[in-house]
Amino acid sequence: MDSLKEDLKKHIIEELNLEDLQVSDIDDDALLFSADGVGLDSIDALELIVLMEKFYGIQVTNPDEGKEAFLTINTMADYIEKKKS
Amino acid sequence: MYINAASTISHQPTFQNAGFSKLIEPLENSSELISPNYKEYIDAGLLRRMSKILRMSVAAAKDCLKQAEIEQPGAIIVGTGLGCLQDTEKFLNTFLSVEGLLPPTSFIQSTHNTIAGQISLSIGNHGYNMTHTQNTLSFEHALIDTSLLLSEGRDNIVAGAADEHIPFLEEAAEKLNLPSKNNLTSGASFFVLSKEKSDRSLARLKDVRTIGLVQDIDTEIDSFLSDNFLNVSEVDLILYSDLSPRVESVANKYFNEHYHADSKMINYTKLSGLYPTNSAFAMHYGIDRIQQHPELKKVLVLNGLNKINLGLTLIESLET
Repeated sequence: MDSLKEDLKKHIIEELNLEDLQVSDIDDDALLFSADGVGLDSIDALELIVLMEKFYGIQVTNPDEGKEAFLTINTMADYIEKKKS
Repeated sequence: MYINAASTISHQPTFQNAGFSKLIEPLENSSELISPNYKEYIDAGLLRRMSKILRMSVAAAKDCLKQAEIEQPGAIIVGTGLGCLQDTEKFLNTFLSVEGLLPPTSFIQSTHNTIAGQISLSIGNHGYNMTHTQNTLSFEHALIDTSLLLSEGRDNIVAGAADEHIPFLEEAAEKLNLPSKNNLTSGASFFVLSKEKSDRSLARLKDVRTIGLVQDIDTEIDSFLSDNFLNVSEVDLILYSDLSPRVESVANKYFNEHYHADSKMINYTKLSGLYPTNSAFAMHYGIDRIQQHPELKKVLVLNGLNKINLGLTLIESLET
């Protein structure tokens, strides 16, 4: 699970061009779409949907499901594990 | 119209460097873009998504607004020959290699009008926002649009041009058997153009003209100068681009034959490198020369980068 979270952070930094962030800067429970957390926006949400399909083969088709899944790195990792099992 | 601010990011030390025209030499083969610290001009949230052409353009446009002490321009007008190549390449490569959904950012930012759009977003401007893409005459068309808008009552317009280099351009040139003796480079030049002269005015943009499918370059130059009540002997400096041998030879013959002893001709493509809108670099270079040499009154930019197109831009000293 920990390696999945590390992997996820690396992909997010690379795909979203978060130039100033390192993997260690993103807490597992930091809110991704909050200014107090990572500070992502609506375009990033679209990029995350693409990222889920590109790297994990998961299609996020239900907006409500995506909203829950993209809250934090922890919820994203849980979502990936759940979809893969 | 009066040029109240000018800013260029290029392979030369042009940015925030008044007097650069005295310092620069023709580019070496290994030249690189000289970028400012973009974080000083662009919000970090926007900057992370911006490609080279967007970073250059937004920073140069904002630098111009700061110089002119203007918060909101009356319009934003941009010329670009090839547009946002970096994002276009990224999007197309993803399109070819990834099945399913495609990442939106590179698609959104691959369109030519992203440049003017991003300038507008970065300053919260809701005015006229236009992009002209007319091959090597894109910048001149942006200037003509600016002139028309000023005559319709708008003022303090941000106008400029930008193009970015990506390695694929060399690959394409090689495959098309089009070797260039000039470096393929990137550059962005922006200006604030206003109706009235102010304390900050740098020079006057007297006239600009584009001629497509040009037949007789001599006649076009004569006609342009005569419409501005000028003889060739009254032009103090010619800035020309040399890609078209026809333009170069005509310019040399024409101006050497007609010019007075102090006339000078400078090939600006050797200074800026080669990109479709490098006549915008030439305009800034001409303005800087006028600032540094009060004896220069009239400067003509002769853009013959593409052999079928001719762009003519006349810049005057404020003392003219």
